[in-house]
Amino acid sequence: MTRGFLEKGVLAGLVFMTGFAVFIFALVLAEVAVRGGGALNAGFFLEEARDFGAAGGVRYQMEGTLLLMVGAAALGLPLALAGALFQTEYVDAPGLKRGLRLLVYSMNGVPTILFGLLGYLFFGITLGAGVSWLTGVLILAIMILPTIQVSVQEAIEALPEQYREAAGALGLSRWQVVRSIVLPHCLYGIVTGTLLGLARAAGETAAILFTATAFSGARFPEAMSDPVPTLQTHILVLAQEALNPRTIENAWGAGLVLLCLVFSLIALSLVFRGRLSMEFER
Amino acid sequence: MFQPRSIAIFFRVLVTVLALTATGLIVLFFLFLVKESLPVFQAEGVGFLTGRDWWAGESYGAWPMIFGSAIVTLLALGLALPFALAGAVVASEFLSSRLRWWAKSLMELFAGVPGIVYGLLGVGVLAPAVKEFFGLIDGNTLFTAALLLGIMVLPTLLTLADDALHAVPGKFRDQAQSLGLSRLRTVWAVVLPQAKAGLLGAVFLGLGRAMGETIAVMLVIGGRDRMPAPWYNLFQPGQSIPSKLGREAAEAVGAGLQWNALMGLGLMLFLMVLGMTVAGHLFLKRGRAA
Repeated sequence: MTRGFLEKGVLAGLVFMTGFAVFIFALVLAEVAVRGGGALNAGFFLEEARDFGAAGGVRYQMEGTLLLMVGAAALGLPLALAGALFQTEYVDAPGLKRGLRLLVYSMNGVPTILFGLLGYLFFGITLGAGVSWLTGVLILAIMILPTIQVSVQEAIEALPEQYREAAGALGLSRWQVVRSIVLPHCLYGIVTGTLLGLARAAGETAAILFTATAFSGARFPEAMSDPVPTLQTHILVLAQEALNPRTIENAWGAGLVLLCLVFSLIALSLVFRGRLSMEFER
Repeated sequence: MFQPRSIAIFFRVLVTVLALTATGLIVLFFLFLVKESLPVFQAEGVGFLTGRDWWAGESYGAWPMIFGSAIVTLLALGLALPFALAGAVVASEFLSSRLRWWAKSLMELFAGVPGIVYGLLGVGVLAPAVKEFFGLIDGNTLFTAALLLGIMVLPTLLTLADDALHAVPGKFRDQAQSLGLSRLRTVWAVVLPQAKAGLLGAVFLGLGRAMGETIAVMLVIGGRDRMPAPWYNLFQPGQSIPSKLGREAAEAVGAGLQWNALMGLGLMLFLMVLGMTVAGHLFLKRGRAA
């Protein structure tokens, strides 16, 4: 009797706490949508920022964010794919395999600000790329590499053992296995990994803050050695400086745009993972 | 089938070179970090870690930043963990697999919310709320940073905890229930103890993630390089290692002892986060093997 009562209490507590967590995230969404929604109109997407962000839109900031994330993914994907194939197909020693695996996971945890600092020191100063789009792309590529690689690797490791056994029975070489079994069947891992990598690059601020971006005056870069304006750093500057309510509203608007971009990339990755992995299990 | 051996060999070499480039870069990064921070350890010795005064150009004491990082991260986890556990128990043990998929997808979405968006929420909503609620002069405090960070890591923590609970084989639940245990008692007496390693792994990974967060924390922590007085009064402005780096690195890049000191902070951060991430993954692995 008392036990049943206690259990009902605990269960109610659990549900209440879960509900509270859900409420917090609904609040996060609502705040951004309500405060940022007012700033959104066609001009916000098409015009450049004026009066230190108090007027105009975020056209060049959006282009800058897109440039950085696409460049990073284009560079990071081949590296990540190679890393995953190297570990799953070409390394045989189990100890080395485990070591490399732990390295990738550790890399995934490295604070992004450190990627920014060291990347700037290495690419920006030692190799002379300066504060530029190129430096930003290189840093972000390394930063999202583990994200993509983990996704690809998980897809490869989910490959049914029979496939490999059948390939072995046919006497296929490693290259043939990679080309005709691993890559086609793990395409969903590559796609979801790339989408998640893009999302991660789009949401990153600390790593590009003083390595790739400029606030005022910068537009679409004319060369790889030019800095770019980005949504992330634009929001940061507006949030720190502004007393003008119009500026603050534009910061929220830019935040809403960024949030929508990241959410659509992640949502797309979820759809792909669901659809393609199901197809593969059939 | 046309299958020249040379393609296979070329591909193998290509994969190996690319994979080693990536691995090499990471090792190179670590060596850079050590090399760049060496001068400050030579200049300040152990005092760099224990010193409480950081005056650029005079003395470099990292203790307030190390303390700030540790206390903010621990408090954030302390605040988020009860909710993450409750949510994980509900999601893993009481939701249908379809609903659970939706819940997990939502968590994945929210785990991706950019730090700068949380930073904006911190500046625009949370800091004023903390100031109002606790009657402070300034809403930018260690506590505010911990609260914001707790919200930020909650999705990651929840989804990892749910994975840990879900990895416990169903047969344990069936057996417990056939002995007449209710679902809730099954969770308490069977699932939670079995999932201990996985849950610990989730906590460590959450700690690692929270400790490295820069932008959001930087905007609400207050940016004061001193120990709070008394040390347990967290309603004062403080500083964490990432926020210090984010604020100061741009002006000190590449030259002078100030830069070396910042790199020394970076090295400390790197080692702490690395320790937690590795510990987290080892626990997760044990959780899966069990």
